[in-house]
Amino acid sequence: MAGRGRGHESGRQFGLYWTAIWVFKKMRFTTVLVFAGLGFACPLAAAPKVDFQREVRPILSDGCFLCHGPDKSTRMVNLRLDIKDGAFATRKMGQVVAPGNSKKSLLYQRISATDGRKMPPEYSHKKLSAQQIDTLRRWIDEGAEWKEHWAYRAPVRPAEPVMKRGDWARNAIDRFVLAKIEERGLQPAREAGRRSLIRRVSLDLTGLPPTVEEVERFVNDSSPDAYEQLVDRLMASPRWGEHRGRYWLDAARYGDTHGIHIDNYRDIWPYRDWVIQAFNRNMPFDKFTIEQLAGDLLPEPTTEQRIATGFQRCNPTTNEAGVIIDEVEAMYAKDRADTVGAVWLGMTVGCATCHDHKFDAIKQTDFYALTAFFRNSTQHAMDGNISDTPPVVVVPAKEDRARWDTLAAREKELIREMAAVRSEADGKLASWAAGERKQAWGGELLALDLKGAIRVKRAEGMAAADFGEGVALGGSPWPGRMALHFDKKGVMELPGLAELEVKKAFSVGAWFYLPQGEESFTIVTMQDAKQKGRGWSFQVSGRVPGVRFYGDEGKSIEIRAGHLDQLTPGTWNHAAFSYDGTGEALGVRVFINGAEARTQRKATAKVEGDFANSGPLKLGNPGKAFDPGGAIADLRVVEGAAGAEQARLMMLWPVVEEARGRGLAELSADEREGLRLLYLLNEDAGYKRLIGELAALEPERRAIRRRGTVSLVMEERQDQKPFAHLLNRGMYDQPREKLDANTPSALPPMAAGLPRNRLGLAQWLMDEGNPVTARVTVNRFWQEVFGTGLVKTTDDFGAQGEPPANQELLDWLAVEFRESGWDVKKFFKLMVTSAAYRQEARATEEKLEKDPDNRLLSRGPRYRMDGEMLRDQALAASGLLAGGIGGPSVKPYQPAGVWEAVAMKESDTRIYKQDEGEALYRRSMYTLWKRSAPPASMDIFNAPSRETCTVRRERTNTPLQALVTMNDPQFVEAARVLAEGSMMAGGDVETRTGYMAARLLGRGLEEREKAVVRESYRAFLRHYDSAPDDARKLVGVGERKAAADVAVAELAALTMVANQLMNLDEVLVK
Amino acid sequence: MNELTRRRFFSKGAQGFGALALSQLASAEGLGGLPHFAPKVKRAIYLHMVGAPPQLETFDYKPKMKEWFDKDLPDSIRQGQRLTTMTSGQSRFPIAPSVFDFKQHGQSGAWVSELLPHTAKMVDDIAIIRSMHTEAINHEPAITFMQTGFMIAGKPCIGSWIAYGLGSMNKDLPTFVVLNASHTHPRANVQAISARLWSSGFLSGQYSGVALRAAGDAVLYINNPDGVTREVRRTMLDGVSALNGMEHERWLDPETRVRIEQYEMAFRMQASVPELTALDKEPESTYALYGEDARKSGTFAYSALMARRLVERGVRFVQIYHRGWDVHGNLPEVLPSQCKDVDQASWALVQDLKQRGMLDDTLVVWGGEFGRTIYSQGKLTPKDYGRDHHPRCFSLWLAGGGIKGGTVYGETDEFSYNIVKEPVHVRDFQATLLQQFGIDHSRFTYKYQGLDQKLTGVEKAAVVKGILA
Repeated sequence: MAGRGRGHESGRQFGLYWTAIWVFKKMRFTTVLVFAGLGFACPLAAAPKVDFQREVRPILSDGCFLCHGPDKSTRMVNLRLDIKDGAFATRKMGQVVAPGNSKKSLLYQRISATDGRKMPPEYSHKKLSAQQIDTLRRWIDEGAEWKEHWAYRAPVRPAEPVMKRGDWARNAIDRFVLAKIEERGLQPAREAGRRSLIRRVSLDLTGLPPTVEEVERFVNDSSPDAYEQLVDRLMASPRWGEHRGRYWLDAARYGDTHGIHIDNYRDIWPYRDWVIQAFNRNMPFDKFTIEQLAGDLLPEPTTEQRIATGFQRCNPTTNEAGVIIDEVEAMYAKDRADTVGAVWLGMTVGCATCHDHKFDAIKQTDFYALTAFFRNSTQHAMDGNISDTPPVVVVPAKEDRARWDTLAAREKELIREMAAVRSEADGKLASWAAGERKQAWGGELLALDLKGAIRVKRAEGMAAADFGEGVALGGSPWPGRMALHFDKKGVMELPGLAELEVKKAFSVGAWFYLPQGEESFTIVTMQDAKQKGRGWSFQVSGRVPGVRFYGDEGKSIEIRAGHLDQLTPGTWNHAAFSYDGTGEALGVRVFINGAEARTQRKATAKVEGDFANSGPLKLGNPGKAFDPGGAIADLRVVEGAAGAEQARLMMLWPVVEEARGRGLAELSADEREGLRLLYLLNEDAGYKRLIGELAALEPERRAIRRRGTVSLVMEERQDQKPFAHLLNRGMYDQPREKLDANTPSALPPMAAGLPRNRLGLAQWLMDEGNPVTARVTVNRFWQEVFGTGLVKTTDDFGAQGEPPANQELLDWLAVEFRESGWDVKKFFKLMVTSAAYRQEARATEEKLEKDPDNRLLSRGPRYRMDGEMLRDQALAASGLLAGGIGGPSVKPYQPAGVWEAVAMKESDTRIYKQDEGEALYRRSMYTLWKRSAPPASMDIFNAPSRETCTVRRERTNTPLQALVTMNDPQFVEAARVLAEGSMMAGGDVETRTGYMAARLLGRGLEEREKAVVRESYRAFLRHYDSAPDDARKLVGVGERKAAADVAVAELAALTMVANQLMNLDEVLVK
Repeated sequence: MNELTRRRFFSKGAQGFGALALSQLASAEGLGGLPHFAPKVKRAIYLHMVGAPPQLETFDYKPKMKEWFDKDLPDSIRQGQRLTTMTSGQSRFPIAPSVFDFKQHGQSGAWVSELLPHTAKMVDDIAIIRSMHTEAINHEPAITFMQTGFMIAGKPCIGSWIAYGLGSMNKDLPTFVVLNASHTHPRANVQAISARLWSSGFLSGQYSGVALRAAGDAVLYINNPDGVTREVRRTMLDGVSALNGMEHERWLDPETRVRIEQYEMAFRMQASVPELTALDKEPESTYALYGEDARKSGTFAYSALMARRLVERGVRFVQIYHRGWDVHGNLPEVLPSQCKDVDQASWALVQDLKQRGMLDDTLVVWGGEFGRTIYSQGKLTPKDYGRDHHPRCFSLWLAGGGIKGGTVYGETDEFSYNIVKEPVHVRDFQATLLQQFGIDHSRFTYKYQGLDQKLTGVEKAAVVKGILA
């Protein structure tokens, strides 16, 4: 621990009244700095040899690297102090660092100068203290030992130290811990009593307090391994996965809304459930990592493996009109790279967004090469304000899983059979084509005949059509075929197709020209202005084709192609959509140039009422002031929902018509394919049956889909390899060199055999040679249990991070974890069965002085719990806790107006509609997380907003927190239900308060405590006896009604006692 | 740890950090070494018009534009600048002059739109900057940039920096308070705000703004449950205190003592917040000044009055957000209502502070996150038009301690498109704001991720001396 503030904890020492408490904590930290770091005023501090890692490098990093570090753009006089070659270089004036001789060392000369040569210079606002200068002097005089940065050297399992108290240690952890404790002249605390121990370990392993029965069982268990058995029982509980998962969800920045701007709901809770299940199944951490980063890239990925990639879809997204796509994409990629940096690498890679890292050897190119892994996604920058922004995976309900898989297998089989029939079709085609082959499409409702005078072919026959204003006949991609050309305001009207209504399946296809330089073009629309625009419209917007159905009252649904299917302005293309007559967004398919497009649409959307209207059909006129011209060469509306083959045939129609009357041998490939399709679709009974069977799968699939849900996933683009451009100064509009995906150069390189994609990245992270992943991970686990990591800066193991308080222990744990096969449960068991963990939390004056923040673990861990744990504890203790594991997010009590105060009126998470019944009492991890207004009571207890990856929560103590646990209806109701339980159980007041204490504290009250509680109770009862209205009001808080026949004043008084107990320090800390 | 605090620790030596810490509980010191120099103000009220008020209808008078009605914006002016994707598809950019009149006011002769008659009356109290500019082109990043100096969430906002640096001036209320004011016009285009705008980012969570709510509990969870009187709460807390005292004896954890004080603070807050929000104690003259709207919970006038009450009670930074300014369309219909929502109360706030002798050490800021385009978004008629986002220039005003009233600073070209004189970047504005608090923005840093983080970021920022007295 070095004598300087850093990271989160630096700077601020003196507090606002408002939160002075936090300052209190900090002061203790500062005090240890004074003792430990500076070796000052501490009677026990000998003068050990200066430790380069812990004492010297931090000074150099803090004071010098800005101008003499890794960033070459700001490097002065070509001097580097972050690498050995630089620090020991011989320069004109002498050696920078001359080992053993500070006087001769330029470094020391300059930092100790008193004139203008003094380093760091005035203008840098940096200053080395006398102590720091002296440390550097001693380091040089002691021989200037140099070590590469500790975190980037692979951990080696160190030998376990030998201690004075050989009998104390239970496992290796203890030997490392005790060595440090003894080094400071301290003694460990004795083992905690069984009641404290079971409460601590239950809260640490499951996030819930033990039940009274569990406490008694453990207290009375005389078997020698009673504690180990308890640990096993707790880890076998499904609550284990929930509790571990909750920490992970902070790192994954899991939320239930998109985050930016309209902040609508998103479907991703199956990912949360995946995390819980992964911990419960004790998935090895390497698998856990690989599936989340690259589950989709594994061979034949399962639904679960695809859900796991939701990790990368948890970042906040936007759909704000007007955003610039490049900017947003750069932002998403940065977020994902930063997250991997913090979670697996312990590196602040984002510091290299605009320039090389100032302190660590992370080049700007490293950062962008890392972002490249995440920039090869099919995901669109715009989230569409829909809950199921593609790509998604369908997650059927549990009971539908098997059937869903069967249907998928059947679909594959049918497609295979169809391909077989197709490949044999040419034989039959020849005889068919030789005969009187039919050229008609069949079921055509409308077609433009643009060969001669313009005619409209309709079911009832041919009709002539008039040109509208601004429409002319002109060229098309086919010789001899004309196209309608529209000027800016040009429009052509045709009689409407009144038969098109919500229950009728139909399809529309068109060849059209998207004008040069334009983003949008309306192909055909049929709407009735008198009915608030009821109808439908087929158009290109944002360069992708799509269809919008306007139902009653102008309410519409839109289905558009995905962003990867953008058309090029100034080109001819064919687009089609098919509609299956169900009114559902899922019943619409979009085809571009004969291939099915990924669609963007809200899957649950349905047409409101009907879109039927009497027309007319309008071609080519968008009706807006600034919209462009364009052209249409072929347009047809046909009955039935076209599949991929019908859509392809529609595209080929102009050439199929040209094939009329010509021999097969003369036909072009397109003509032949068109004819083949025509034959298969119209004549081949076997093929038609297969198509029918394929279509018949759809209703059931959709029903399953409706019963289930979807989850946002990651999906790799197949048409390109991962790459990114270096962005000059981080500006999205200043792309520079193109970089292939790669891992940071400061770490060992990716093995040659690894694919250069997310899968390769994930495998590289878990590779044995990777020096950081294991350390960073065990450090985070350590933090979950002991409150602070061995490296306090959980997300920064770099030069500016805190060197480990006990590096030998950290390295031992890292190697142990990796060699165990990344066995998470085994690792936690190791921690919680150590003697260090099992210590009593009692401090002594001496320990407070020498180990104020308990970083040495001279006593058991004790600190305030997170908001989720506090709420869960209240629910569990009162018996209100409901529900099993997993499921959609819920909306428990929340003060009115928290969402409404910030949300946009369009947002579907604007109005907080509280749930009812069980949903009010589920574990806090299931509370719906709206990012722009996180759950109020969690927020107050330092929960992150989940907008960025958080691997270390803050822990402050503010008056606002006291208000939550005193006044939140959730806590008040829990207190009352607990009080009611105590009344049901019977007995006198003392028995009742004892009942409550047992559930909150896991122990009975001491005599002097009883006296305090008794006195409070009497005062409460006096009040509620004299104010029955108050009593009724208090017991009426919450949805769970109090029993009708209960003595109200008594219940109210006991409720306040429960409220009192729930607010005790002992209950708030673990 | 900076030098000053370090010295303080040395001087206290090894004995009894606990006593030292406890003594701090009652004090309200800020960061050691701050302020850097004599401050002009102790507190600030920042009125943020969310959605970006059009400078062309408020403070940036462009009479010549009348002749340019429906003519295309010359390329020489636009210079190929980036547009939002809302108008980048437009084939032309027809100029929409303001349909509202401007007049000169006060001794300074500043031009102010007819939509802001009250603000117009105080031009000699305020400094108008017409040459603000930003880098963000959309609301979310722009508001975040204005409030935190960075476009992506995660950095502390101005109020948090001030709270961190200067500490509190009272014992019973938060240091930094946020109010979200309602708007009136049903067709106003409303932009989102979110808790990240009053977040403390990488600073400790204690410096986050506390939202003072118009409906329900003024501060979340401040009220006791129904049926729990203040006396009952006192009894309950006496018990908590006693039991926690025993707990402390048991484990000797200093944090337990902190817990005791934490609950006492909460109890005191429970008394001070209702007193704060008891607007019925205000005399009639208050409502004559702020307008009748001030009686209505949640309005801008109510929030402005509340802001005065907050700063009176020692709150250091009050942030008011008023939404609905995003006039992409229907500008002539919506904008008068938006202006009416805030005009009188903004004026009243400045006058009220002045009457109370508080304007001299209070800073008041009024403004949005960027400007709006001279050309119309969507259809332009003589009576109807809209304006798109325009980061290249916008107007805002400041008043109060150290601000030179009657100043009009900066100038844009005749299209209010580019700045031609005295540009003020968001960072300059932030540096100026800190300067008024006696803080040198370049030295006010917090070490995070190894960097000396600043509100004004790493690019150059300069105090706008031209608006300072």
